[in-house]
Amino acid sequence: MENELIGLKNNAVSLILEATTPQELEEIRVQFLGRSGTLTFAMKEMAKLPKEQRPEMGVLANEVKAVIEQAIENAKASLRTRHKEKFVSEKLNKIDVTEPGNKPSLGHLHLITQAIEEITTIFERIGFARVRYPEIEWDWYAFAALNFPQNHPARDDWETFFIDQKPDVKKGPVVLTPHTSSGQIREMSSEARSHTAGENINIRMLNIGKCYRRQSDVSHTPMFHQFEGLVVGKDISISHLKGTLDYFVRSYFGEKRISRIRPYHFQFTEPSFEVDVSCGICLGKARLPDGQGCKLCKAGWLEMGGAGMVHPNVLKNTGIDSIKYTGFAFGWGVERVLMMKEGIEIDDLRTLYSNKMEFLEQF
Amino acid sequence: MNIKILDSWLREFVDTRAKPKDLAEMLSLTSVSIEKIEEVAKDFNYDIEVTTNRPDLMSVTGIAKEAAAVLPEFGILARYNPLKLNKPIPATKKEPISITSDPKLVNRILAVVMEVDLKPSPLLIRNRLEATDIRSLNNIVDVTNYVMRTIGHPAHVFDYDRIEDSKLLIRESKKGETIVTLDGKTHVLFGGDIVAEDGSGKIVDLLGIMGLENSVVGDNTKRILYFLDNNDPHRIRKTSMEQEIRTDAAQLNEKGLDPELMHDAFIYGIQLFEEIAGGKIISDIIDIYPNKAETRVVSLSFDKIQRVIGIPVALKTAKDILIRLGFMVTNTETTLSVTVPTIRSGEVTIEEDIIEEIARVYGYHKIPSKLPPFGDTVHASPLVNEFYFEHKLKRALVYWGFTETYTYSFVSEDMYEGPIEQAVKVQNPLTFDWAYMRKTLIPSLLKVVEENKTYQTLKIFELSNVYEKKGNDLPTEILRLAIVIKKENLSFFDMKGVIEQLASDLGIEKLSFQPLSTGGGETQIYIGKDLFGQIEILDTNLINAELSFPMLLRHATTKKIYTPMSKFPPVIEDMTLILDEEVKTGDVIDEITKQNPLIKRVSLLDKYQDTRTFHIIYQHKEKNLTDQDVAEIRIHIMDAVKKKFHAKVK
Repeated sequence: MENELIGLKNNAVSLILEATTPQELEEIRVQFLGRSGTLTFAMKEMAKLPKEQRPEMGVLANEVKAVIEQAIENAKASLRTRHKEKFVSEKLNKIDVTEPGNKPSLGHLHLITQAIEEITTIFERIGFARVRYPEIEWDWYAFAALNFPQNHPARDDWETFFIDQKPDVKKGPVVLTPHTSSGQIREMSSEARSHTAGENINIRMLNIGKCYRRQSDVSHTPMFHQFEGLVVGKDISISHLKGTLDYFVRSYFGEKRISRIRPYHFQFTEPSFEVDVSCGICLGKARLPDGQGCKLCKAGWLEMGGAGMVHPNVLKNTGIDSIKYTGFAFGWGVERVLMMKEGIEIDDLRTLYSNKMEFLEQF
Repeated sequence: MNIKILDSWLREFVDTRAKPKDLAEMLSLTSVSIEKIEEVAKDFNYDIEVTTNRPDLMSVTGIAKEAAAVLPEFGILARYNPLKLNKPIPATKKEPISITSDPKLVNRILAVVMEVDLKPSPLLIRNRLEATDIRSLNNIVDVTNYVMRTIGHPAHVFDYDRIEDSKLLIRESKKGETIVTLDGKTHVLFGGDIVAEDGSGKIVDLLGIMGLENSVVGDNTKRILYFLDNNDPHRIRKTSMEQEIRTDAAQLNEKGLDPELMHDAFIYGIQLFEEIAGGKIISDIIDIYPNKAETRVVSLSFDKIQRVIGIPVALKTAKDILIRLGFMVTNTETTLSVTVPTIRSGEVTIEEDIIEEIARVYGYHKIPSKLPPFGDTVHASPLVNEFYFEHKLKRALVYWGFTETYTYSFVSEDMYEGPIEQAVKVQNPLTFDWAYMRKTLIPSLLKVVEENKTYQTLKIFELSNVYEKKGNDLPTEILRLAIVIKKENLSFFDMKGVIEQLASDLGIEKLSFQPLSTGGGETQIYIGKDLFGQIEILDTNLINAELSFPMLLRHATTKKIYTPMSKFPPVIEDMTLILDEEVKTGDVIDEITKQNPLIKRVSLLDKYQDTRTFHIIYQHKEKNLTDQDVAEIRIHIMDAVKKKFHAKVK
């Protein structure tokens, strides 16, 4: 009996190992373990054995059964794996990997938003906080408090848009702000009102917004964006202004670009500067490697915009002590710095506001 | 303002060995910007940008003085060579000339009658004028231009014999008076312009701006009235802009010039007439000078100089710089007292102006770059602010396939929505297309759709301000988010889904959609009770939405609340109901949900003809739900929907 059981097991296992389909395995199971299978039959035969041999043979028969069951399970699993591998490899060989993928949808942020976000991040790292101030502004904020004399050309209606509205007795007419500098007045006035007595005024403003001027040509759009920096505190100097703009120029344009300041004139700063950035095309050399003169820049430099030390009259107009505090400010065109970036030399600024998909989808 | 000057002309007034390129570089860093140097016939032509506050630099002598002042700071020797001006030779025979002026209009007038020979100018003068973009006409007119470029004060000549009665009366123009300028153009004056009439009462000059055809020097001119006028700059600016006459003279005069400088210009002109036009003085010299130029004294502390510049500059250096620039300086150990010459007294008025003079000539390039200190006051700077949410929503839309547009804030009357009399109106628009500040972004976005017709599918958005009148106060500016989808077989739910997901991403709950009772394909969107915006169906392939950004900010949050995960699995079942078309799915979901707290979520799975299948999730926090538990709740649900919506359960 013992030999019979062991032979049966060996026979079953060798059949299982040879099987190549799940159907064959099922047949083997039925052949041995089925209701009229050989092992089932052998187990029934056990009743005929002498009583003292039965427990021992019973244990053996159960072991044989377990071994066969396990062998069938293992064989099934290995068949599944082989099948899957075969399937995957056959399928893969047929894939044309050069066909385009099923892309999730992707739109485009406008270049101006991309520039604004970049500029914001750069300045936030050195402690500036972004703010937003009105686009439609009283003359007081846009001009008067910024030290513009009553007859200044910027205040006449050839250069600035006026809103058809009754002027305020104190704050004057309503204009579309021609620069983000109006935000300087709002920021300083509110700081002067709210700052705790005994604490020093410490402003680090980044005002980004829409501005409007009566111009429309290849290098001007009637609506545009500026970003305005304002730092006011104790002993803020030209040195700090230079540091801030060096930091910005290298962060925004890249380590290879350098900046310089030159004398200039603005009503609301004194001294006033024009800020230049070295040309990204000729790298400040004014000549290209082939010896040709650089067409993009003026003698190796590109004008980025204005800056200066806050005029004492402006500090006074906002209620800040112009003896105790000094400050610097700069206001640059978002479109301007964008177009000074390598690769974005757009020949007509108005393209930025054309909203042609062919343009928008490039970025 | 730009001015072009030949290097050889400049060097007549400044002795230096600096090469043109270096001279340009040094002036650019410390004074005026030399934008270009052009090589012309063994000479160099500088193209110089002069800022509007420095009309004194709109001349060869002005630039020469600056060069002499700034070059030494670079270690280069330079000396200013002033013009040699002689006293004019008095007239032997005297022709009459009478001028009546008005101190309200004119600060100073200098005039004299001369006999001249009209002919072409010498080559040197012609070349210099042409290099500075002034056309050479004849020696008489050329002298006036040459004087203006050399000294920086405009000059004028009349044909003396065309001035009736040898009399000039300077007065304000009256509105509607007509003149013909020497270029043959007719101008109707707005009134308040500065004009001169002759003895016959006809206007013969538009002072400070341009001569007139009826008194201009011509081929037969034998005698001239050489005439310099220094005027109220604001009137000049006004006339020049109104009449669109932007001559060099007008652009100089509108900036306010020094009446003392004008005297040099006058004498130099007489000299030039004598030299190149056989000029002879034949009248008294008239000098009407009611508004005298004044010098000014500005004091400043030495400490302030250092605080503004950021590094110490030696007192001697500062003083030397100021003296080279033409200021007179006295000092104590801690203060400077600076006398500003008349030529600069209009723009150098406070200590910061003096600091600028010192700092620029000392050299901005020598000042080190430092980041500003953080200060001793602690400010909070929360990450989550309006810009955070703006950034987040724009990113979400872009990753869902939307493209951002930037359209102009102003629109035409046609594109303005709503009663036009309530519009925020631009008083002086550039064109009629840009006359009103928009009240909604939608028309602008629809225009973008229109301008991109060839695109069958478009998904665009913009976040910009709209403007609303607010009585006598500033108009209100409200940021709005507008979204437009153009697509074949577009459904309302394509837009609704975007708004629902946006709200969900920004932590906004209690979003609801209600059709506008007046109809018109418009649906209003609420957050709780606040109106958030609306969706509008325009066509089978076009739908738009506009949302209030302030309202979004009011409800958006980054606050996260943790709910412990359930230990027991949910029971999920689908229930198909036959419902009348009128019944709102949202109402059915609400009704099912409120039947039992164990109903965790109900959603619409499918809709087919008159049947709607709802997906219901039951879950208990503390135990496994049995079939029995669920069956009881299900009966409640079925009763409720039957009762409320006359639903049949399929």
